[in-house]
Amino acid sequence: MDCHSSQPSRRDFLRGALATGASLTLTAGLSSCASRGDAPQTVGVDQWRQFRGATLNFISENTAPTAAIAADLSPFTDLTGINVNIVTLELTALVQRVALDLASGRAQYQVIYADPYQVLAPYQRGLVDLRTLQADRNLPDLPGGVGDFIPTQLDAAGRFVEPGPIYALPYDAPTMIWQYRRDLFDKYRDRMANDLGFDPTPGGDRTWEEYYGIAQWFNKNAKADVLYGTGHQARQHDSLMNDFSNVLWSYGGDYFDNGRQVGRMGSRDPGPSRLDSAAAIAGAEFYQRLLAIADPGSTTWDWDGVGAAFRGGRLAMCPNWHEFAASNEQVLPGKVDYAPLPKGPAGTANMYGGTGVGISANTLSHERGAAWLFLVWATSPQTQLTNLKSKAGGGTPTRTSVYELPEVRAAEKRPSTMPNMLTAAAVRQAWQPDKIGLRPKIPMWNECNTAIFTQLSRMLTERVSPEEAMRSMKERVDRIVARGWVA
Amino acid sequence: MTHVADSSPVLRRPAGPESLAPREPRYGFEGRMMTPGLILLAALSIVPFFALIAMSFSRVRLLGGVRLDAVGLANWVRFLTDADMWMSWLRTVVYFVLTVGLEMVLGVGIALCLYRVLRGRNILLSLLLLPMFAAPVIVGLLGRYLTDSTFGLYAWVLRSLGYTGDILGSPTSAFAAVVLMDVWEWTPLIALITLAGLSSVPQSVREAAAVDGAPAWMTFRYIIFPAISNVLLVALLIRSMDAIRYFDIIWVTTNGGPADATKIVPIRLYETAFRFFDFGYAAAIGLAMLAFSIFIARTFVRLLDTRGLTR
Repeated sequence: MDCHSSQPSRRDFLRGALATGASLTLTAGLSSCASRGDAPQTVGVDQWRQFRGATLNFISENTAPTAAIAADLSPFTDLTGINVNIVTLELTALVQRVALDLASGRAQYQVIYADPYQVLAPYQRGLVDLRTLQADRNLPDLPGGVGDFIPTQLDAAGRFVEPGPIYALPYDAPTMIWQYRRDLFDKYRDRMANDLGFDPTPGGDRTWEEYYGIAQWFNKNAKADVLYGTGHQARQHDSLMNDFSNVLWSYGGDYFDNGRQVGRMGSRDPGPSRLDSAAAIAGAEFYQRLLAIADPGSTTWDWDGVGAAFRGGRLAMCPNWHEFAASNEQVLPGKVDYAPLPKGPAGTANMYGGTGVGISANTLSHERGAAWLFLVWATSPQTQLTNLKSKAGGGTPTRTSVYELPEVRAAEKRPSTMPNMLTAAAVRQAWQPDKIGLRPKIPMWNECNTAIFTQLSRMLTERVSPEEAMRSMKERVDRIVARGWVA
Repeated sequence: MTHVADSSPVLRRPAGPESLAPREPRYGFEGRMMTPGLILLAALSIVPFFALIAMSFSRVRLLGGVRLDAVGLANWVRFLTDADMWMSWLRTVVYFVLTVGLEMVLGVGIALCLYRVLRGRNILLSLLLLPMFAAPVIVGLLGRYLTDSTFGLYAWVLRSLGYTGDILGSPTSAFAAVVLMDVWEWTPLIALITLAGLSSVPQSVREAAAVDGAPAWMTFRYIIFPAISNVLLVALLIRSMDAIRYFDIIWVTTNGGPADATKIVPIRLYETAFRFFDFGYAAAIGLAMLAFSIFIARTFVRLLDTRGLTR
């Protein structure tokens, strides 16, 4: 018997060690895949401290309020002992990540920026009904309750179809308003009034036809100050649908029957599209005419593009989201003012683009509690006030109590430490139920939206007739809605 | 001869299936060595491929775990009857021909010029290759900023030359712009490959042509081109495969617009899968793209094969 053969060689030993290491790694990997731990909970302490040591992931669009919150999370961490990682993305990328995370059955992102049209409507089943957490006595209440949120915004950003469940708390409230160069209007007001035959001062009484007249007047008479009277976010993008919808609604057109309800509460089956109505076609005809005298760059701009062009001094006025006020004030201090959008034959409509924050339904019990704490804190009046003052972002509060605070009221006039509040008078009007513009909240909106802005883009750049474009839009939207939606 | 013939094991082997002669194992040592790689390949490619086929006949649900609801041929019928999709295919083919064609012509031209340069060739080559090292998404961003009507350099130059439109704002100029951005980035690759091919053309043959008084065009047509044609074919194959799945630059600059003018099939595929989350239809589009890519690749490989370059 060879004694050497019975003893393991160094090579055997190494091989064995490698095999053991590999198996351990594999087992550990598989077990970590198979189960995940809930966040820790400490019983018998302050409600706000019970989940200390937990870590939350918050996925958000790269918007002003999130920038402000991300810039200083220490108040929340000090209050709760919870760490929050914030991932900010462009909206399309955010929707992808959220959809895939909800599909995974795990909650890599516990707190979700739930865009009402691209996340809430299609994936409402993947979000927690927040009433269950509001009713939990072990968790803190929303300060002021849900009644403190602006009612149209709570419905539009937080509910879907049924009036009861709340899937998201209103988190931001960008709204499209008329932004104009006050210095140029002051300079040319009398001449414009003489030439045009009306007082050109932007306000709720101006019509879209008058807006057209003012834009054309700037094109012809103020080349030394601005290149064009108006500019628009008319790129083949979500922004084009937003820009056009203001005109569509003010001319009496709509996407579906009962459009206000479909916009405010949402619908799973909105019925046939009404984009081929005479009023809708009239709106499209005006929009095509308006874009023909607008800055040619309009067809390449989304909201950021038109915002940059306005701040760059190319334009005398434009419709854009009110949260751009902070950057306008930085570049053109004291030179910009705001008004609700002009009216058409059926009144005015100001597109609302607000979003809520919700909690993934895949969260485990303690994680869900911790996420609720973050929601309560992030949407609290105090945080919204801090965001308004933040130099990192800026905010667009969603609570009525914030707008009533004396210091916020004072900030509505220059000099203002909260430049977004310079738009308060305009947005306060724009948020009235008969003036707010709410696009359809339907699960298949993303695809409908693409069909709509693509046909609009054809109308603007290929000179397709408004009638043909609207009929083509209706045909496509009907086809998409008929296919239905499965999540 | 008879002896040799009789002693040959081949001739002595009795015919018929009952032969007891040892046979070569079907999977030899090489087969066993390849097994782990094949299993990995199967996991990475073949399983997803079959999953894709299954998805193309289904409606895919996401919430509560991925589930497939069979819908028969619905996705394929939709694919074949979708007029917008056919327009995207047409755009893809035009885009493919324009980008690859321009890159080949310019790349060969630049390589021929560079080949004649004796001093400073390396510096010129380095400068020429720079665009190739930028990620396509960076090229797209660069293109977008350079053509932006508010602050873009190219837009400013064109405006001072009297062009009043917006480069990315009209369908024709936007399409031309994204083609040119791709050409700008990848022409250097063709030039580099061609340059490598040119160095293999015997100097003596070129000199003989020059002594015989052959004009430049004739020298290129009958001496240089035949010598570098195989290399060009490989370059063509590489660029073709890339051009079919072109995505980044268009996504960053025009997002498929205006008026769908730059919406080629990869953009539509991405949109269907990751914006509309219609994975069933997206699977059908993806499989069609795969078939198209295989067709293009096979065409080039067959050409290479006939020239004996694949072995």
